[in-house]
Amino acid sequence: MQSLMPKPFIFRLVFIGSLLGTFHFASAQDSKLEQTATLKTVTGVVSDAQNKEIMIGVTISSLDGKHHSVSDENGNFSISLPEEQQQLVFRYMGYLNDTLSIVNNSMTPIQVLLKEESHTTGKELNIVDVVSRRKTTEIGLTGAFKVEKIGSNELMKAACCNLSESFETTPSVDVGFTDAVSGYKQIQMLGLAGAYTTFTRENIPDIRGLAAITGLSFTPGTFVESMQLSKGTGSVVNGFEGTAGQINVEWVKPFEDKSPKWLINGYQSTQGRSEGNLVYNHSFNKHLSTSVLLHGRSDWMKVDMNGDNFLDNPMGTNFVGSNRWFYFGDNGLEIQGGFKAVVLNMMGGQKNYTEGTPQVVGNAWGYENQVNRLETWAKIGKVFPNKPYKSMGLQLSGVFHDQSNRYGARTYDGSQQSFYANYIYQTIINNTNNIIKFGASAQYDKYKEQFNNTPLNRTEVVPGAFVEYAYKYLTKFNAVMGLRADYHNLFGAFLTPRLHLRYAPAENTAIRASIGRAQRTANFLAENMGFMASSRAFQLNGTDINTMQSGAYPFKPEVAWNMGLNLTQKFRLNYRDGTFGIDYYFTNFTNQIVVDMEQYNAVNFYNLDGKSYSHSIQAQVDYELIRNLDIRLAYRFYDIKTDYVSGSKEKPLVAAQRAFANIGYETKNNWKFDYTVQWIGAKRVPQRYNEHAQHIHGSDYSPTYWMMNAQINKSFKDSKYEVYLGMENIGNIMQHPLIVDAQNPFGNNFDASLVWGSGMGRNIYAGFRLNLK
Amino acid sequence: MKNLFIAMMAIGTLSISSSGFAQETSKIKSETVKVKGVCSMCKKRIEDAAYIKGVKRADWDVKTQELKVVYNADKTTLDKIEQSIAHTGHDAGNVVADKEKYKKLPSCCAYNDGAECSH
Repeated sequence: MQSLMPKPFIFRLVFIGSLLGTFHFASAQDSKLEQTATLKTVTGVVSDAQNKEIMIGVTISSLDGKHHSVSDENGNFSISLPEEQQQLVFRYMGYLNDTLSIVNNSMTPIQVLLKEESHTTGKELNIVDVVSRRKTTEIGLTGAFKVEKIGSNELMKAACCNLSESFETTPSVDVGFTDAVSGYKQIQMLGLAGAYTTFTRENIPDIRGLAAITGLSFTPGTFVESMQLSKGTGSVVNGFEGTAGQINVEWVKPFEDKSPKWLINGYQSTQGRSEGNLVYNHSFNKHLSTSVLLHGRSDWMKVDMNGDNFLDNPMGTNFVGSNRWFYFGDNGLEIQGGFKAVVLNMMGGQKNYTEGTPQVVGNAWGYENQVNRLETWAKIGKVFPNKPYKSMGLQLSGVFHDQSNRYGARTYDGSQQSFYANYIYQTIINNTNNIIKFGASAQYDKYKEQFNNTPLNRTEVVPGAFVEYAYKYLTKFNAVMGLRADYHNLFGAFLTPRLHLRYAPAENTAIRASIGRAQRTANFLAENMGFMASSRAFQLNGTDINTMQSGAYPFKPEVAWNMGLNLTQKFRLNYRDGTFGIDYYFTNFTNQIVVDMEQYNAVNFYNLDGKSYSHSIQAQVDYELIRNLDIRLAYRFYDIKTDYVSGSKEKPLVAAQRAFANIGYETKNNWKFDYTVQWIGAKRVPQRYNEHAQHIHGSDYSPTYWMMNAQINKSFKDSKYEVYLGMENIGNIMQHPLIVDAQNPFGNNFDASLVWGSGMGRNIYAGFRLNLK
Repeated sequence: MKNLFIAMMAIGTLSISSSGFAQETSKIKSETVKVKGVCSMCKKRIEDAAYIKGVKRADWDVKTQELKVVYNADKTTLDKIEQSIAHTGHDAGNVVADKEKYKKLPSCCAYNDGAECSH
C-alpha cells in the first residue's frame, strides 16, 4: 500500500461536489414561498405542566403556519422564523394548544409548559393504525450514531426467511455462501467476516462464539419487527467487541398496538424448502403480556442444479421455538424474560450419501450438521416516573450451544456455555443536554471443541466497567464519549475508548465521525467451518492442527481500531423526498488471526505479523422517483489487504466493487412490486488445483456477475392477508465449477470452499402471511 | 473506478433534469386546504385521493387537519382535487364529503361522529 489515503477518497470529494449542485436546484424551487428575510432562531424545552415530564413530538409553528419544528426526544426544540414573527403556537394531541409571544433578540431558551386537555368521555375506539408511506429503510439525521433502520416492510422484500437472508436489499451488507455443501450464508460488513459484527437481540449479545456462522439461521424473519444496522464501533455500553459494526434485532412485541394477535406465515420454494412460522401475542392486562413464537423448516428435495453430483443445499429440518414475557409495573418497573430453543438436523454432500456411510475412498462423501441450542435472557429496568431522565437496567443472558459437524472424513464438534450480565445506570448532569451512563458487565464463555481427535478447550471470564457521556447542543451537535475497562482472564486488562460526533450544518444534513477500539477472541474453527468442506490441511502457525499437543488457546486476541466519516443528506427534488448518504470506514488491525488460504491444499491460521486493514467507501441514494415508486442506488468499494506469510495480498473471495439498484412500487390497491439487481465485481481467487489440466493454477480473479431478484406482493383487508410470489437469481447464474475436483472428494485436491459466486440456481417461491387481530 | 464515474454522471444528469422542472414553476401552485380526518389510515386515503393527474405533492397533517397540495394549474384545479377527496368520504375545503362514502369509512375515521385518534 502506497499511502494511507485510498484513491477513491479523491472521487468522494468530486461526488459531494456534483451532489451539492443537485441540492441547489432542489432548494431553488421549494424556497419560492419564502422571501429572504432575516431569520431568528428560538430554542427551548417543552414539558407537561402537571408532572413536568419532557414532551417529545410537540409541533411548534409560527402563527402564520409557514415555519414548523418538532420537539426532540429530550423535549428540546429549535425553530427558525422571520424577525417579524412574534408568536409561536405549540400543539400536541390531547393537550391544549398554547400560543406564546416571543421577545425579540432574546437568546435564552424558553420554557414551555403544556396543559393536558381534561379527559373527555373515555370511549374506547378500535383504532387501526396504518403506517402510510413510511420508508422501509430509514437513515436518521439525529443522534450521534448513523443507524439504518430496516423495517418489517423491507424484511418482507427478502425472499426468505432468516437473518442471513434478510440483507438482500441492504447494500451495506454482503451475503455469500461459506462453502458449496453446507448451504450456510455468511454476512460481511466493511468487507470483514460476520464474526466482526456484533449481533444483539434487543441489545443483549445474541450470536457469539461458536454460532458465528450458524446462528444467523436461528432468527426467523417472521419473529423480527425491525433491525438497526450501524457501521463502525458502537456504544461501549454493549461491550468491547463489534469491530465492523452492530446489528440489533427487535422482535415482535406482544404489548404493542400494531402487533397482531396471530401471525401465521407459510413459504414454499421450487428448491424443496418448506417453512412455517407462527407467532401468538397475548396481553393479559395492561401489565402482563406474552409471545409464543414457532418456526419449522424442512428441506426435503435433492437439488443439484449444477450437475456436480453434490447437493446444492443440504436436506433436513430446523425448529425454533421461543416464549417471552413482559411485565410493566405502575411505578416504572419493567421486567421481561424469555427463552429460545433451536434444534437443527441437516445432511448433504454427494447425492447418494446416507447417514452413517463410512467415509472412505469409493463411498459417497457426506456432510452432516446437528445443532442444539438454548438461549435464555431477562431484563429488569426501572425508570423514575418523576425523573424520566433517570433509569437503570440489568440485562442477563445464558446460552447453551452444542453442535456436531461431519465433512467427509473430518469431524468438528463444539459446545459453548455463556453467561452475560450488564448493569446500566443512566442520569443527567444539570440538564438533558448532558446524559451520562455507567455500569458494569461480566461475560463468561466456556468452549469445548474437538477437531478430528484434537481437543481445544478454553474458558474466558471478562468482568468490566464502562462510562459513557453524551453531550448535545440544540439539534446542531452531538458527542458521545465512551470508555470501558475490562479484565480478560487469558489476555489481561485492556481499555476500550470510543468517540462519536455528529454535526448538522443544516436542517437536512448530518455529518458524523467515529473512532473506537474493538477487541475479540477469534473462534477460528467455528468461524471458518467452510474450509472443512475441502481436503485442505488445517494448520496453526504452519503446523498441522492434528499434531498440536497443548490445549491452550494458541493466539492473541484480535484488536482493531475503526474510524469512520459519513454524510447523510435529505433532499426534496421535483416535490419528492430522497436521502443521499456517503460513508467511509477504515479498520486497522493491530492483531488479527490471519486466515491464510493462499496454498491450495491448506488453510493456515496465525497471528498477524505486519499490516491488515480495510478501507470501505459506500454511496447510496434513496429517492421516491414518482409517488409510491422508490428507487435505491448504491455503490461500494473496498480496499482490504493483509500481510500473509507469502506477502501483502488483497483479501480473497471478497468483491472490491459492488453496485446495487432496487426499485419498489406500490399501487393504491395494495399491490407491491420489488426488483433488485446487483453487479458483483471481480474477487481474487487464490491458488487452486485444476483437475482438467492437472496442475496448480495461480491466483487470479473471478468473473464479474449480475444477480437479480423480484417479488410481487398483494395484501388484502388492510394487510390482514398477504400473498407473495418471487424469484431469486432470475438469470440462473451459477459458479462453474463450484467444487474443485468434485469427482475425487477423498483425494488431496478436493475443495468446496472456493466459493465466489452463487451456489444455487434460479429459485421461485410463494408464500402467505396472516395478521389476525 | 469506471463505475464511480458512471454513478457521478448519473447524479449529474439528475441535476440537469431538475433544472428542467424548475422552469415550469410558474404554473405550479401550492395551496393549503382543510380536510377532515382522524388517523393515519385516513391520511393514506386522503393522500391517495389527492394524487390525481397534475398533482405534484400532497401532505396531510393529522394534527392541523390541513392538506398541503402542490399542483400544476394547467392540468388540474384545486376544486378537482377537493372533489376527488370528498368522493372518498372526507370533507375537503369547500366540498362536502360524499354521504354514502362517509358512511362506509371505518369507525375510526368517522370524524363527524366523535372518532378520535389515540396516537
